[in-house]
Amino acid sequence: MAGDEVTGLGYTLPAVLAVLAVCAWELIFLRTGLFRRPTYWLTMLIVLGFQVPVDGWLTKLSAPVVVYAPRAVTGLRGPWDIPVEDFLFGFALVTAALLAWERQGSPGRSGKGPGGRRVPAGGRRQAEGAESR
Amino acid sequence: MDHYQYLLLMAGCLAVTAPLELLGARVYRQPARLARAVLPVAAAFLAWDAAAIAAGVWTYDPRYVTGLRLPLRIPVEELVFFLVVPACGILTYDCVRALLARWRGCGG
Repeated sequence: MAGDEVTGLGYTLPAVLAVLAVCAWELIFLRTGLFRRPTYWLTMLIVLGFQVPVDGWLTKLSAPVVVYAPRAVTGLRGPWDIPVEDFLFGFALVTAALLAWERQGSPGRSGKGPGGRRVPAGGRRQAEGAESR
Repeated sequence: MDHYQYLLLMAGCLAVTAPLELLGARVYRQPARLARAVLPVAAAFLAWDAAAIAAGVWTYDPRYVTGLRLPLRIPVEELVFFLVVPACGILTYDCVRALLARWRGCGG
């Protein structure tokens, strides 16, 4: 059953790989310019601020909702016993969602990115016009 | 109520971020765009989740979850998490974008 043994996968390595994969997705394929926008970094700061209470509630060792196999994590746990891996996980999850959101909205800016095939040219401006009807 | 802890936490995330739509975010008003952004990301992370559950990387305390499981033994709460958290992130991002645009005076 789960919990007895961690079969090589672990959490630390996949979490690092997820961050690298998301960064590569943007820097090589999408090129939305998200990482250059203050809006993005301000958002991630706010998200981090909310991750601590929410994630902390799930991982606090006094009454954890989610229990991590000790062999799968480094054991470094930050406020409210949040495993350090969760911050990588959260960064990858939210950044991937923001990239996917931007890809839908501004195909013109993404250049040769694979997205935008169902979004008309004109990108965000047009999309915003459409939604305000 | 303890069995609903995880779900209530997710409901709280939705409740806290909902007013952002009134502050300038245009996310729930673009449901198709939101779905196209969130669903593929949720699918990718659910695959990771399923692999981690199968390998025993993480488990869930049965006291704090409903016990409802999706295929591959994924708790229903995890599906909700992977829909709610990206949506909250997008709401935050679009609200920050709108507020900064308003602050700069270019009206978005």
